[in-house]
Amino acid sequence: MNAAAATDDISPRIRAYLGERMPDARDLKVENLTQIAVGWSHETFLFDARWSAGGEQREQGFCLRRDPGNALLRELSDLGEQFRVLKCLENTALPTPRAFWYEDDPALLDRPFLVMEKVPGICPNPWGREGRSFYAEAAARGILPASFTDTLATLHTLDWREAGLDFLGVPAAGADFARREIAKWRAFISATDAPPHPILSDLVGWLEANAPPARHLCLVHGAYRTGNLLIDEDRVSAVLDWELQVIGDPMYDVAYVLSDLNREGTELLSNVVDRETFFRRYEDATGFTIDEAVCRYYHLLYAMRSAAFWWSASDLYATGRSNDLRLARTAWSVPVVLERAARELGY
Amino acid sequence: MMEKADLLERIAATLRHEISPVVGEPYARTQAFMASVVLGKLAAELRLGANQGHDANRELDELFLDLESHAAVDPLPDTLLAALSEATRERSDAGLAHLVEALYGARSALGEDRFAKLLGRIRQTLRARLARELTYAA
Repeated sequence: MNAAAATDDISPRIRAYLGERMPDARDLKVENLTQIAVGWSHETFLFDARWSAGGEQREQGFCLRRDPGNALLRELSDLGEQFRVLKCLENTALPTPRAFWYEDDPALLDRPFLVMEKVPGICPNPWGREGRSFYAEAAARGILPASFTDTLATLHTLDWREAGLDFLGVPAAGADFARREIAKWRAFISATDAPPHPILSDLVGWLEANAPPARHLCLVHGAYRTGNLLIDEDRVSAVLDWELQVIGDPMYDVAYVLSDLNREGTELLSNVVDRETFFRRYEDATGFTIDEAVCRYYHLLYAMRSAAFWWSASDLYATGRSNDLRLARTAWSVPVVLERAARELGY
Repeated sequence: MMEKADLLERIAATLRHEISPVVGEPYARTQAFMASVVLGKLAAELRLGANQGHDANRELDELFLDLESHAAVDPLPDTLLAALSEATRERSDAGLAHLVEALYGARSALGEDRFAKLLGRIRQTLRARLARELTYAA
């Protein structure tokens, strides 16, 4: 089904759902409904609701994310967990959308969904020409580089126990965090039809033998980069895409920021911040010292994770759970990822 | 009769240049374009398999010969020897992966120098294979 047909179909059902959730609302209208993502991850619908209550006109922008039933990574983080994480983060300093409701009753919208606040801002694709231009111009103005870095520092210094996020699982002291990630991604790969691969075996053997101890534990986003952040007036207005979060080593996110996989045609980290500024602001704000050797380790762990993504994505197509040919294409991304890892391992 | 790889490339070109541009609906247009990408990669892989399959076989022969020669001079731990026999017999990714896992498992028994030497030899073969794969995957 194309995006326009999908929104035509779902609009009256969303209105009916909101009516049930807001029984005092009169003259409830759902307007400006658009679907902004199709395919790989959860379906995302944006809309505005207008109603009257107590004699006053009200309006609220909403974002609805629905499980398409075959989303990449859905085994790792379902919408129920995302809702729980967002609720935990509501009273912290981290900018995130307020989460309103989570429903797993298929009678409502066929599949589980999450309704949250529509936060002002835009989220340009960092791999498109327009997105690269947007981030380059914002970087030159200087506000976004600072906001990008400060928001990561806020994420890494928030009190995750106080926020109730220990339900995510707390690694033991030492190298337990890295080992848990290796085990998680190994299980994820095993769940696909991917045949055993000797370079992956080498990579996993190396990762297990060299797992670093985590010097601090914090809430780790798992994919902190432009494209997963909403930007409003050059500032991060919301951290999005809570699908890979864990309690773990802050260097895991830092390594992701430092990775050249997250920038294209620029030396700016994640397309927005120069290395010196990032190091200085992050270290000043967190009190953590960026350990580049540990970050190099996590780059190799990300290679394993990327291979897992691509195998899982191509498996969705190969097994008929998705007809999206973009997923079929990802089978050829695996050798590219493994080649980078092999170079790092000294092949 | 047209070679299969040539045929796939021709279909890919038709999809990319003649069909995809005139598909109005964005999702369907992207799908047509991705179909051309996938067919192009399958064509390149097919062509490579025909031309370089014997290189891969020769590299595997040399790898197993080297490892067996090494084992003849200085016996390998039983688990590693069994994995080498399996890999030599099967000549599959699964066999090679199991061999690498067995090598890591025998690391302390082998000692660091011998472990590094054996792993380096296996990596040499895997490196050559990656170089071939990247000619169509990248």
